[in-house]
Amino acid sequence: MSDLIDRYLGAVAALLPKASRQDIVAELRDLIVNRVEEREAALGRPLDKRETEALLREIGHPIAVAGRYGPRTALIGPEIYPFWLFGVKVLLAVAALAAVIPAGVAMLTAHGDARLVMRTVTDFIPTALTLIGAATLIGAAIERGWIGTEGFQNWKVSELPRVPKSKEWFFKSRFDGLFETAVTLLFIGWWTGAVEFPTGNVITTRGGEVALTFSPIFQALYWPILVMAVVQVVSGLILVMKPGWVRARAGAEIIGALIGLAIAAALWPAMPLVTLVAPEATVAGLANLQKTVDLTFQVALWVAVATNLLKLIVDTWRLIRGR
Amino acid sequence: MPTDTDIFESLRQELRRGTLILAVLAQLREERYGYSLRQALSSVGVEIDEGALYPMLRRLEAQGLLASEWREEDKRKKRFYQLSNEGRGVLARLADEWRAINAALEPLL
Repeated sequence: MSDLIDRYLGAVAALLPKASRQDIVAELRDLIVNRVEEREAALGRPLDKRETEALLREIGHPIAVAGRYGPRTALIGPEIYPFWLFGVKVLLAVAALAAVIPAGVAMLTAHGDARLVMRTVTDFIPTALTLIGAATLIGAAIERGWIGTEGFQNWKVSELPRVPKSKEWFFKSRFDGLFETAVTLLFIGWWTGAVEFPTGNVITTRGGEVALTFSPIFQALYWPILVMAVVQVVSGLILVMKPGWVRARAGAEIIGALIGLAIAAALWPAMPLVTLVAPEATVAGLANLQKTVDLTFQVALWVAVATNLLKLIVDTWRLIRGR
Repeated sequence: MPTDTDIFESLRQELRRGTLILAVLAQLREERYGYSLRQALSSVGVEIDEGALYPMLRRLEAQGLLASEWREEDKRKKRFYQLSNEGRGVLARLADEWRAINAALEPLL
């Protein structure tokens, strides 16, 4: 019987902090011996091995018993948990977009190569787990007071998103902001060479491979395009994190629209923006495809100009009204 | 899906959690060791799991509400606990709080 109690207490002791180990074990031993004596008095005989084992099981698993003496702080407590959950949802949404967009590009440009699509999708799993782990570490640090949360305590109702009174044109939700930010960050990654798209500059069509050569104007406009994307990210982040900052976001949108118009003006005379090379295609077929691509870029530029002009008007109005 | 019994049990545990501390502090106006404290509580109808009782005693001591010392009794070393002066003050305030809650709730129930 004593051997069982020693084994049990040894297992508990191994999990206790050194400073209080001896003290806690001595007290637990007294508790166990008292219970054994109480049970033996009731039965009128000593406990056998099976009965002692049952009694120790009643007290609890050594991990559970030692755990009760540990600090009472949860990894993520009930007050932090809703913030942790929100953060995890946002991070997973961004990671999902970052996986889905290249997968979409791969699907559109690489006919029949399901491996490319699958690889992009399976990349999501380790990314998601890493993000959840990082969010949990941050949450645990906040729970223990290692990271201050004064910013959260000073929140203002006026900084919460406005509720549209009816169906409003140009109204963007936080999710729209999140989507915009994720897509633009992905674009920045591709533009700066940090993220590689599965297909590179080669598109596989039913008629064979088509290589794309971008006009040198894109190199000349490297920084303006990067700055425009960064401004877009700033605007998106304001919408996600401080939706009440209407004027700040309108300012960012106006700057972005002005840069966008300037870029469109610089791109227009530099047509064709993309030259296609397809050794397996016929001359007529390639010319036809090039014509279609040129037309697509022309239309896209007109749409970009119209969108940026509209943005200028709407966001100037927002800047003046402040809502 | 939790049954009605599960829900009731969970709510009962929640309701009891705070009152157990009150009962423990009240019983430690006089000196007791863990096992005798559990028996004293049991004799007045307050059942408490030892697994919860002993760590609770240590927490209350760490908070300065209890004082303890090891002494030998019945040829065994035992740790005796008793309310500290601070503990007496806190118990008095908690008891007032308990009576106020009870008085407020009783007409509702």
